[in-house]
Amino acid sequence: MNYHLELMIKKLLGADIAERNFAIFPDDTFLVSYPRSGNTWTRFLIANLVYPNVDVSFKNIERLIPDTSSQSSRALRRTPRPRIIKTHEYFDHRCRKIICIVRDPRDVVLSYHQFQRKYRHIEDGYPLVKYVDDFVSGRLNSKDWGTWGENVASWFYTRGKSKDFLLLRYEDMMEDPVRELARTATFLGIDSDPARIEQAVQRSSADRMRELEKTQSADWVATKNHRTDIPFVRVAMSGGWKEKLPAECVAQIEAAWGETMVVLGYELVTPTLPEQAHQIGAKLTAASRAKQEVR
Amino acid sequence: MIAKLGASARHLLGHDPAGRNLRTYPDDTFIVSYPKSGNTWTRFLVASLIHNEAPMTFLKADKVIPSIDSQSRKYFKSLPRPRVIKSHFPFDQNYKRVIYIVRDPKDVAVSQYHYQIKRKVLQDGHPIDEWIARYVAGDTCPYGSWGENVASWLAARRQNPDFLLLRYEDMIRQTGLELIKIARFFGIDPTPERIQWAISQSTADRMRKLEQKEAGQWESTKDTRKDKFFVRNAKAGEGKATLSPAAIAQIEAAWGPLMRWLGYETAAVSRAHSTEQERGFLEAVLEQPAR
Repeated sequence: MNYHLELMIKKLLGADIAERNFAIFPDDTFLVSYPRSGNTWTRFLIANLVYPNVDVSFKNIERLIPDTSSQSSRALRRTPRPRIIKTHEYFDHRCRKIICIVRDPRDVVLSYHQFQRKYRHIEDGYPLVKYVDDFVSGRLNSKDWGTWGENVASWFYTRGKSKDFLLLRYEDMMEDPVRELARTATFLGIDSDPARIEQAVQRSSADRMRELEKTQSADWVATKNHRTDIPFVRVAMSGGWKEKLPAECVAQIEAAWGETMVVLGYELVTPTLPEQAHQIGAKLTAASRAKQEVR
Repeated sequence: MIAKLGASARHLLGHDPAGRNLRTYPDDTFIVSYPKSGNTWTRFLVASLIHNEAPMTFLKADKVIPSIDSQSRKYFKSLPRPRVIKSHFPFDQNYKRVIYIVRDPKDVAVSQYHYQIKRKVLQDGHPIDEWIARYVAGDTCPYGSWGENVASWLAARRQNPDFLLLRYEDMIRQTGLELIKIARFFGIDPTPERIQWAISQSTADRMRKLEQKEAGQWESTKDTRKDKFFVRNAKAGEGKATLSPAAIAQIEAAWGPLMRWLGYETAAVSRAHSTEQERGFLEAVLEQPAR
């Protein structure tokens, strides 16, 4: 009852966390991704692009590109339109204009493992193999984002072909951030002047973000009151899984989401999988029909 | 402010419709579909399968398989577990066990159009071709477009053993076989008596008679026109038979590949049906034209 009373007062004041319960406008753009897929970096890139005269930092990022999981419905209402809103939510049909960031789930899981240690969602010695199993089966101690496969697929296969949908791969952004930010600028209808893009990329570099995190971690809602010995801005690289992720974990992830990974351009390495992955659709169709016949 | 105070008070007391704020349990089973896809009929079948002690009615079906958008959070809390719940939402990760019903979007369109006339959203004789454009864009219903709703669930769950995909057309054609799948999904022994009883409780004729008695009290029909009926055609193929070629072309242009993956006939494409069946869901959806 106390919890509900508190929630009621918060709702009255508009101080409740927005999550999926806030008013959406037709000119909103949503920056969607599964957690640990480069969303914060992209927020900095876009904020620096859109507001070239603002010193973008962890102190003001929530005002510039608010996060639905930490900001109140009132804060979102007060964000000047057209808004760019960050979210990790799975498909929400009310959102029209979408920038969707995806990252290789084999890297996502490594990053998430560290992140959940930082947040003390898991103990330091929590075995990676067990963590990967939780990650694949949807048993993480985190908010309701669904599994990586559910979350990514729910956006990509409903909206992937829409002209109001821009897919950014974290790996492509690492390879050529200027190129990818220029695409984003065009999508947002912003002048993609090379100097402006270049400046935004430099102001959002991993080194600069690490420096900002050192001095501002107490000022940012996502890092304050969390342990500081594990940084939020981590290795900022792709392909770390090739060295750090045990083969059995790689196989488990590829078996679960191989089809979607292939469609997104992530090459599978499990020996028995690659060929299968390309025929997987056919087999699944046949199998699911057969299974239903049997039932 | 007054409205917000009222809403907050209802929330405090748990009297607000549950919607997306429902607290779910892993043993809940959700009967999910886009609206006008046979959800009410399926509820009748499932409710009489589980509660086979007394005849089924609209009001009773609403109590034992409540709709997430009409019953309060408090009511859901009071239901004995395992619960069976009706919903029209696109993918929701909190629903762990899901029976998803799909129906040919051409037939869904006709059914939704007539239901909107019954609910006085549209007037008699409203030009359906104009309406179809809004239907395809997902603007006629609060649960996304047909394609979005269906694709969101299939994309996320189609390989999951706790996801049962049923086609309304199969349920019409072979009700018993489909109901056996449902019974097994619930862990119910599908004895012929039990299946037969559930089917007999849920025939279109019986439901039409019940509607006449209960329309004034049932959530989905009270405050709607009484000269139009909720239980209408209860058949497959009405869209193809009655929609204009232009309307059908709009629907197929939007969702053709997904429709063919689900086994629905489309006129516009010469590709052999069997070829389509061999392709993966994801390929099929990705072949959808850019919008």
